[in-house]
Amino acid sequence: MKYYLLGDEDAVLGFGMVGVAGRAVASAAEAAAAFDEACADSDLGILIITERVAQLIRPRVDRLVYSDDFPLLVEIPDRQGRMAGRPGIRDTVNAAIGIKLG
Amino acid sequence: MKQVAPTKTNLIKLRDELKFARMGHELLDQKRNILVVELLTLVDQAVEYEAKVDASLAKAYAELENAVLGMGKLKVGSLASAIDLRSSIRLKQRRVMGVALPVVDTAFADGGPYYSPMDTSVSIDGAVAAFRYALGLLGRLAELKLSITRLASELRKTIRKVNALEKIAIPELAESLHYIQNRLEESERDMFVLMKRVKDRLSKTEPEVPQA
Repeated sequence: MKYYLLGDEDAVLGFGMVGVAGRAVASAAEAAAAFDEACADSDLGILIITERVAQLIRPRVDRLVYSDDFPLLVEIPDRQGRMAGRPGIRDTVNAAIGIKLG
Repeated sequence: MKQVAPTKTNLIKLRDELKFARMGHELLDQKRNILVVELLTLVDQAVEYEAKVDASLAKAYAELENAVLGMGKLKVGSLASAIDLRSSIRLKQRRVMGVALPVVDTAFADGGPYYSPMDTSVSIDGAVAAFRYALGLLGRLAELKLSITRLASELRKTIRKVNALEKIAIPELAESLHYIQNRLEESERDMFVLMKRVKDRLSKTEPEVPQA
């Protein structure tokens, strides 16, 4: 299985150096098309997506995150760092199971 | 409460059912506790890994920027395509309480040196190393996130079962059992009184029966 990256130019260039194919996307339509194409690839193990791109197609991304199916998805910060106001892992889990952990 | 005929057979059946339900409840309760503990450790790990990924990516982007500033984007781009480093993922599985969790193993197929050290910035070496490190961490993070999602849905199911047993099934069974027990005791007392009366009457009337 392999990695694939959706993000901005910097991320694509950087991860391209370590053998991760990727596509730089700028608009929501582009992102959606690239996202669907990537998900259709059965050899894709982990889809890396920058937060800013994920924000463009949030409903699709969330559907993939909450399904427990492949490809796995990780959101990474882009060149400008993490976006403010995104819930952390702990909050997401608490919301998902409706009980307070830790 | 379910209407059940107050018979001895039903009493025995219900008693067995209640015992079974209590046992199931205990097992599910244990399962729930184990899942919660597992989930907690995974969430802690995921938070830690996320911080690590953020830090290493910030470093990687900074190195990349330096390389681009030093050598120009075009040259970095062409060097990037010269780098013969392939990453691949191997997936294994581990099981926790019947839930299949993935274990991601990132392997790199390396074919260095990739480019001449002459005329290239040192930053690009740093950038490659940093991105490579970040990618390994990302694999782990993805694994943790999927594990958390699966465990959380299993935990939710388990909690629902525990609650259903604890709040509905077990009280209902206990109530039925109680009802049958009361009815059986009542009819036993009835029988007892009846017998007494019959015996009483028999002993009273006996002398009056002419002995033919």
